[in-house]
Amino acid sequence: MRKTKKKQEEVPVLAPKVESSIWTKLWQARYIYLLLLPMILWLLFFHYIPTSGIILAFKKYKIGSLWSGEWIGLKNFERLFATPQAIESIKITVILSVQRIIFEFVPPIVLAILLSEMRGNRLKKIYQTVFTFPHFISWVIIAGMINNLFAVNGPIDSVIQSLGGESISFLSDTGIFRTLIFVTANWKGMGWSSILYLATIAGIDPTLYEAAEMDGAGRLRRIWHITLSGMKPIIALQLIMKISTLLSGGFDQIFNMRNPVVSSSVQILDAYIYDITFLALPDYGFSTAVGLFKSVIGFILLMIANKLSGIISGEQMYSFEKRVNTKKVLKKRGGNA
Amino acid sequence: MAKKNDGHANRKRKIDAFDIVVFVTLTILFLVLVIPFWSIIVTSLSTNEAYIKQPFSLWPKELTWANYISVFARGSGLLIAYKNTIIVSIIGTILGMVVMTMAAYALSRKFVGKRVVFMYFICAMFFSGGTIPTYLNIKNLNLNNTFTGVIMLTLCSVSHVIIIMKGFEGIPKELEESALIDGATQIQTFFKVMIPLNKPVIATYSLFTFVDLWNGWYWPTLILTDSDKNLLQVYLRSILGANNILKAETGSVGAGQTFAIGVQMASVFAVVLPIMLIYPFIQKYFVKGIMVGSVKM
Repeated sequence: MRKTKKKQEEVPVLAPKVESSIWTKLWQARYIYLLLLPMILWLLFFHYIPTSGIILAFKKYKIGSLWSGEWIGLKNFERLFATPQAIESIKITVILSVQRIIFEFVPPIVLAILLSEMRGNRLKKIYQTVFTFPHFISWVIIAGMINNLFAVNGPIDSVIQSLGGESISFLSDTGIFRTLIFVTANWKGMGWSSILYLATIAGIDPTLYEAAEMDGAGRLRRIWHITLSGMKPIIALQLIMKISTLLSGGFDQIFNMRNPVVSSSVQILDAYIYDITFLALPDYGFSTAVGLFKSVIGFILLMIANKLSGIISGEQMYSFEKRVNTKKVLKKRGGNA
Repeated sequence: MAKKNDGHANRKRKIDAFDIVVFVTLTILFLVLVIPFWSIIVTSLSTNEAYIKQPFSLWPKELTWANYISVFARGSGLLIAYKNTIIVSIIGTILGMVVMTMAAYALSRKFVGKRVVFMYFICAMFFSGGTIPTYLNIKNLNLNNTFTGVIMLTLCSVSHVIIIMKGFEGIPKELEESALIDGATQIQTFFKVMIPLNKPVIATYSLFTFVDLWNGWYWPTLILTDSDKNLLQVYLRSILGANNILKAETGSVGAGQTFAIGVQMASVFAVVLPIMLIYPFIQKYFVKGIMVGSVKM
């Protein structure tokens, strides 16, 4: 961030560069505002107005309105920390997220390296197409497939039985079920996540490989010293950004795959919020408070991740901040000169 | 800048043990990804009796189209949901892409107040109300139980806008200027130069928006209450009955109608098919479309 010396390339200025009053400038940009208007309105009505509804978290909800109801301060949050199920679900979410990082972070990297080492471009393309595809299938469908494939006396169980093994109930054993979560998450997402790594590998200078080969480095050594070291910054960046997912845990997957036998073992925070909102007697104020708690922590984690990645790569995730800072630096320099 | 490294593994040399290990590993993975889909097709083409006798087979036993015929029977739940989902997905994608592309193009220009507008957009990425306020807002706007509500909730995404904007910013300004000098109007330049040059990004994000709408189940489940307004994923959730296997295990019978496994899988395949058909055409744009938005190398 501090390293950026030159100003980012500016977008072409279509309006003539003459010193004019603010009104003339506004008038000149009228079509731009017109183009922006629909999205601004959409954000207002479907994002900012609902977002202001988080005041519910500080109120006793009265049926029918977002805005009525008496203020009760932080009572809902006190209740959150006094509810054992809520605390338990926070614990489950954090543990599951950490496990997800352990089991779901490396496979896409390995896949990208294997694909980059594969010979035959046509087959490689076909494989990559197939590996990426499950990303576009909803968890509703995948959960349906899993529940069918792994059912007792289902396809996989019947194969195990015919091979002389014992029938396993994959879906009602909490340990196996958790493994299934990681396996299916990889099944769905690893090809997709590997695209970024593959693109990174494609950016590595091929002459490095030739030089290493001349020096007698074997393929594993080349992978270690050239491919992996070239991927290091992006791997670090991706890993750090995972910090911000610590309180999510993958609601879509869990919600669609869970069943009554195992659901309490994977009751992540989002699932808990859903359950107290739509299944039990609803208290919208309390539900909103739990949701707000989650998003505030998520926001803090995102900020931490952003700062850390900024330190590591010298580049902020959202270049806007960078641009603003660059402008400030340039102004300062101009002032000093 | 180094020349592009497209497959350093492809240089002429003998095939060694390592190549074989790579090939075998990836082929196993390929099979692990393909077999579940294949198993859906096989099950959907088999009779129920054949499935119960032998749940896993690589080829349909007692081949039958009956499952597909019943799934697509006139007035069937799936057919209604199919029609609804096509309408919602197509209208939503077109509307969303128009709104997002307009905003993205505007944001790639210089204008007074850009910083304020940009902040307005960026803040939306960091703060959101969560389920309940969003749900109550939809109710307040009288959009519950309407397709408009579903479309509106999935319409735009600020992160998509920012990536499309970066795509526009990446177009060399000489191209736009020369078009303007050649006498094209701003609007002509936008449609004839800027949009085609940004095609990879726009195509990629059109697909993403379409898939989001096609695969959406959360908000449709909460908002749409009439059964004739079912969308595909909601309908699938109801017939796949996430827990029917356990019900069979524990002996308890679930509420509502149960569907034969062949019918379930025929429905699943019918829902996956459109994405299977569109996906290969857009896949070639992915890498470019994704890399525009990510860290510059």
